[in-house]
Amino acid sequence: MSAHHRKKKEQQTIGQGQGRRSRRSRLPLRRSVVSEDLLLEIGTEELPAAYLPGLIHQLRGESETLFQANHLSFQRSDVFGTPRRLVLIVRKLSVFQHRPAEEIRGPSKQASYDASGKPTKALLGFLRSRGGQLDQTKIVPSEKGEHVFLIKSPSVVPTAQILPQLLPQLIQRLRTPKAMRWEDTGFRFARPIRWLLTLYGSRPIRFFLAGVNSQARTRIGRPQEPQETSVTSIPAYFQTLKRVGIILDQDKRRQRIQQLVQREAKRVGGVIAREMRSHGLLEEVTYLTEVPTLLAGEFGPEYLELPREVLLASMAKYQRVFAVESRGKLLPRFVAILEGKSARPNAVRKVIERILNARLADSLLFWKQDLTHSLTQMNEGLAGLTFIPLSPVYEEQGSMQAKILRLQGLSKVLVHAWNLRDPESEWLRQACEFSKADLVSTTVKEFPTLQGVMGKYYACQGGKSQEIAEAIGEHYLPSGDKLPKTLIGSALSVLDKYDTLVSYFGANIVPTGDEDPYGLRRAAQGIVEVAWAIHRPLPFQRFREVFTSEGWFPSMNLGNASDRVKLYLLERLYTFSWPKPRPTNDCVDAVLASSPDDLCDDLVDVMDRIAMLARLKDDPALVKATKVVERTHNILKATEFNHLQVDSSQLQDPIEIGLWETYCKQKESIREFIGKRDYAEATQRFGDVFFGPIHEFFAKVMVNVPDERLRRNRLALMQAIKTLYTERIADLSKLVLTE
Amino acid sequence: MDWGLAMQFQRLIRALDAFWEKQGCVIVQPYDIEMGAGTFHPATFFGALGPSPLRAAYVQPSRRPADGRYGQNPLRMQRYYQYQVLLKPSAESVRSLYLESLRVCGLRLDAHDLRFVQDDWESPTLGAWGLGWEVWLDTLEVTQFTYFQQVGGLDLNPITCEITYGLERIALFIQETADVYALAYGPEITYGDIHLANEREGSTYNFEHASVELHRQWFSQHEAEANRLLKANLLMPAYEHLLRCSHTFNMLDARGAISQSDRPRFILRIRTLAKRCAELYLERQKGAGAREGAFPEKKIA
Repeated sequence: MSAHHRKKKEQQTIGQGQGRRSRRSRLPLRRSVVSEDLLLEIGTEELPAAYLPGLIHQLRGESETLFQANHLSFQRSDVFGTPRRLVLIVRKLSVFQHRPAEEIRGPSKQASYDASGKPTKALLGFLRSRGGQLDQTKIVPSEKGEHVFLIKSPSVVPTAQILPQLLPQLIQRLRTPKAMRWEDTGFRFARPIRWLLTLYGSRPIRFFLAGVNSQARTRIGRPQEPQETSVTSIPAYFQTLKRVGIILDQDKRRQRIQQLVQREAKRVGGVIAREMRSHGLLEEVTYLTEVPTLLAGEFGPEYLELPREVLLASMAKYQRVFAVESRGKLLPRFVAILEGKSARPNAVRKVIERILNARLADSLLFWKQDLTHSLTQMNEGLAGLTFIPLSPVYEEQGSMQAKILRLQGLSKVLVHAWNLRDPESEWLRQACEFSKADLVSTTVKEFPTLQGVMGKYYACQGGKSQEIAEAIGEHYLPSGDKLPKTLIGSALSVLDKYDTLVSYFGANIVPTGDEDPYGLRRAAQGIVEVAWAIHRPLPFQRFREVFTSEGWFPSMNLGNASDRVKLYLLERLYTFSWPKPRPTNDCVDAVLASSPDDLCDDLVDVMDRIAMLARLKDDPALVKATKVVERTHNILKATEFNHLQVDSSQLQDPIEIGLWETYCKQKESIREFIGKRDYAEATQRFGDVFFGPIHEFFAKVMVNVPDERLRRNRLALMQAIKTLYTERIADLSKLVLTE
Repeated sequence: MDWGLAMQFQRLIRALDAFWEKQGCVIVQPYDIEMGAGTFHPATFFGALGPSPLRAAYVQPSRRPADGRYGQNPLRMQRYYQYQVLLKPSAESVRSLYLESLRVCGLRLDAHDLRFVQDDWESPTLGAWGLGWEVWLDTLEVTQFTYFQQVGGLDLNPITCEITYGLERIALFIQETADVYALAYGPEITYGDIHLANEREGSTYNFEHASVELHRQWFSQHEAEANRLLKANLLMPAYEHLLRCSHTFNMLDARGAISQSDRPRFILRIRTLAKRCAELYLERQKGAGAREGAFPEKKIA
């Protein structure tokens, strides 16, 4: 290890030496050169396609942050990535670093010098880490006592001298979901770094990282025949890549691939299968090649018997090839994007066809095998499938079979709340019963992403109605922007996720920070999205009653779990992608702070109220209502009384008598609007009725009078007016108005 | 090189042996206990642990009971051959050595599409994981290329690079045939002559006849035996019973006798053994009698 560190240091010293040399060689330059372009190429063994978008994004962000923090100005930066290279171009990076004067606070005076006045380790360490000397320090008194400050005078340093330290730092900052070690410095990266190319203008920048010395060289050629070549300038670098057909820019590469595959599909009288036209496969293929090259072929038409989704999954999973369709029906054809040109493309095509046929034969075997089992037989297999991971404690209760029983029990809540009648209620029950049957099929074991989709096919084959099959098919949604389309599918989607959340919370498996290995955050978001889209009630209390009354998971406290899930779901409302106008956080705060629990019971009702606030934000009606709530809220804040009841016989002032009469007269009509969930009208009415009288009241009537009974009664009147709105709609005192 | 001869399956093995021998590898022999992959061979499991350098190569017959297709599918078999290469520490030249080895086998690489596609390799039973690729030749996975990061749950230093060739698949390319059983194995004899009957019988046994009850018993017995031997400080005998546990687990899995809820617990039982074996091995490496007993590591000057 230490030998290795020495090596690293030496290398860095060499780098710095060159930096100094370059400063000398820079002197004769014309003064007009104030900036140069910078090129950094990190050459690797193939990076995972899924990591590349993140790496590109980070490299852009981190380089800009780093250069700005180091007082280096530049015009803009571009970042590109292929499987074998990550490339950063910084345009017009200033040739000098202009570092302003700096005063950096160090350790306290006491900690900095020992009894004999000598500098302590703490002080020396501080100076070392900040690149300062003892004679650059002074002692400055502050509120927290005397401290040593490092005073750096402004400086001008050639950028070429700083880059050998900055660029390794930059690469070290890049993070991927998984990283590895491969050489003896112990450096970690997504895959091994095999070369580093850096040019600043036309001058190479030397540094050492992960066992590699940067050089003015790059590698080109297909993976099987890599070639090294020297690079003399940044324009020459781009020319070299272009000459061998490397499309460095990922956006251009994606476009090129789209163009190639679409053109080929058209040539054979079709189009690329709609599922493969964007995202997923297209994105992956974009990052699997740097010289995208087309190859098309056919497969056995007998495999068109497979469900469409299975065919597409086979083609995408094993070989990353595109399917072709015509008028919505798949053709026995594929389009592949390969890396560079093969010397014998026909032979390659034959092999790919053969492998595809063998894969599809296996898929067909699975599919036919699965069809020999009835839905009931499949459901029997669910006893052996774990629903709650690694928890022998829950044994039978933790199985998928127990889950489908719970789903059927929970379905009664939605049957009632959504007012489902036969046959809808029976469809929902059966959709619950057979929702997980496909999990024991060989096809889903082979293609886990087809869960639900396969269930739909098996339900159809098993003679279930279209509505049941569709519901099973879409109950894992939402995914991306796809939502369940049917009522029963939406119900099943919500029930499935709700059961998962309560069971997992009950087993104390909860998402923490960024960690969410079981997709619970996604499940909660899913519930909110589906509930909002279908816009039917989601009664928390009724679910809680069912969870606590059926004897499920005897070892868990499901009441407590239900309460935590409710809170968790309500928290999602802050991040929910609301339609415009998007509610600000204070709108969500106001509604969540509004009512006692039993009135915040329906998720969709809560969402309606939030959306209403967002719509009316800064509308005069809401502003008036807010003023009324604010004034009554403020006066009540300091009150010592708990149970406030207006005693009409105690009212004295004609103004307060008038206000009380207004309250009594208007109360019912406002409650009526609330009852009809016409919150906008209720708000309008509340503001109109009370805004004027409340102002007059506060202007002319003293609330906090010495007479306790009188004071108490006036506060009670304030409370009655306030809660008329806040209990049922939103606590507007939380609202932040823009005026 | 005489390409006509190199095309035969047995010549392919010899070509790889010769190539990797030239790179300083010790050519060890297949291990004589059923295993799912060459990674289970002590040369890899123990070889990857500890600081001593190692270069080794060998053929390992590999058993995947659940992958049997009664000899009907050219890409899936319940018993096949892996060719395994270990380079520790992983050299910078490992990629070019691998490409060179394919050429030596008779592949014209410029005629093919070759790609390295992400594969985060993991063996939960061995407590081992690494990062690397599936190597695709015309979209068929012909090799797993992995930089090991952990074995037996222990961090590795230095890092071992493992190259696992799928011999049959590579032979299909070299001999330009679609049918694995039609591959020329040696003079006047095909791969099918040697293996097809066994592939059919093996599939039938694995899927239809293997006694679940007996295999369950065997699993527990091998596990108990491994534990007993570990207590007696007998490393290789204990490890051999771990291998038997692992194969027995694969058999139960092929019979569909392992439910999803059983699975993690079975795996954990094997991994616990693997971890103890790894720790005992490292302890011995540190001790005075380091070179006695366990796998004979090859020192490279």
